[in-house]
Amino acid sequence: MLQGVLAQSNSLYVGDMLFYIVSFIILMLLVKHYAWKPVTDMMNKRATKISDDIDNAEKSRAEAEKLAAQRQTELQNSHQEAAKIISTAKKTGEAQRDQIVTDAQKDAQVVKEQAQKDAEQARRDALKGAQNDVANLSIEIASKLIHKELNADDQKALIDSYIEGLVKHES
Amino acid sequence: MGGEAYTFKLFGLTFNATNVISGTIIFVLVFFVLFGLSRHLQMKPKGGQNVIEWLIEFTNGIVREQMPASEVGNYSFLAFVLFAFIFFSNQLGLIFQIGWNGNEIVRSPTADPVVTLTFSLSMIMLAHFAGISKNGLKHYFGSYLKPYAVMLPINLVEEFANFLTLGLRLFGNIFAGELLLKLLGQMAFSHGVPTILVSLPLEIIWQGFSVFIGAIQAYVFVTLTTVYISQKVSAEE
Repeated sequence: MLQGVLAQSNSLYVGDMLFYIVSFIILMLLVKHYAWKPVTDMMNKRATKISDDIDNAEKSRAEAEKLAAQRQTELQNSHQEAAKIISTAKKTGEAQRDQIVTDAQKDAQVVKEQAQKDAEQARRDALKGAQNDVANLSIEIASKLIHKELNADDQKALIDSYIEGLVKHES
Repeated sequence: MGGEAYTFKLFGLTFNATNVISGTIIFVLVFFVLFGLSRHLQMKPKGGQNVIEWLIEFTNGIVREQMPASEVGNYSFLAFVLFAFIFFSNQLGLIFQIGWNGNEIVRSPTADPVVTLTFSLSMIMLAHFAGISKNGLKHYFGSYLKPYAVMLPINLVEEFANFLTLGLRLFGNIFAGELLLKLLGQMAFSHGVPTILVSLPLEIIWQGFSVFIGAIQAYVFVTLTTVYISQKVSAEE
């Protein structure tokens, strides 16, 4: 069978065999240098890059999660801080209000006391005036009563003095 | 396939001009196609880079399926070049068949048994050499006595049969395909227009089928080569 097959080739061309083997080896060397190496290098580089990208994506996802958590805590902190500021402000305001009210009360007290004192003074003055008036009046009444029993001369003198007093009073 | 081959003698060796010319065309063609596909390499592949990367992935896949993972890197390049070379060789005769004075000048190199057997012999020898260098002489010769010493003759015949079938399968498929193409061509011009009308569609169909066969045979050749190599280099058996 083999002979029949080889007959197709007319004879065993040892030269062809060598030619093909040598050419194939040369082809392998050339292809390796010009096509295989660059392409497989690029493929490896791409594989590395893809795995790196996946790693980086994982990393940045973790980082984003961390940042989100941090932001959440900061948000809570700022909430608390705001609440603290508000409560402080309220307390301060209350204290101030109390202070103002107390001051106002004190002032009012002082004013009231002053007014009372003034009123008392005025009353006393009025009372004193009234006493004087009453004294004068009573003296006058008394003098009038007394004058009835005075003699004419004395009465005359009294009237004069009275008129004099009136004139003096009028002038 | 008809006609005497041009032969000439050089350094006491016989050369077949048909094989030398066809082979040179294929070697140059394969190199420039692969060279052209691997220009302007980018991280994001496009155009030719996609084609060559797909081809590399394809032959790497063949090797990966057959070999232990530690050996894949050593033989994937061989599988790649071998596949490219045999594929282009199988197609050449479908496109160009140049004859002159009843002698062929260009045809598929793989339609010649000397060429296919050269390759099968080289690959089988490579497998044996790889087996010896990987596992040592003792293991290599011991493998002929497995599973029983009585199996020695069968194992020897098997090695020889591997060599013959690997080469002759490729030769047979391609040779038959080209022979039928030639016969259809002869039929077309035998009785004028009617036979041309009949032969033309048949020729087209058969050419398409031969392209398919050429691809399949290249795949089979590379797959069996990796199988034989992996049988030798595997630590077990």
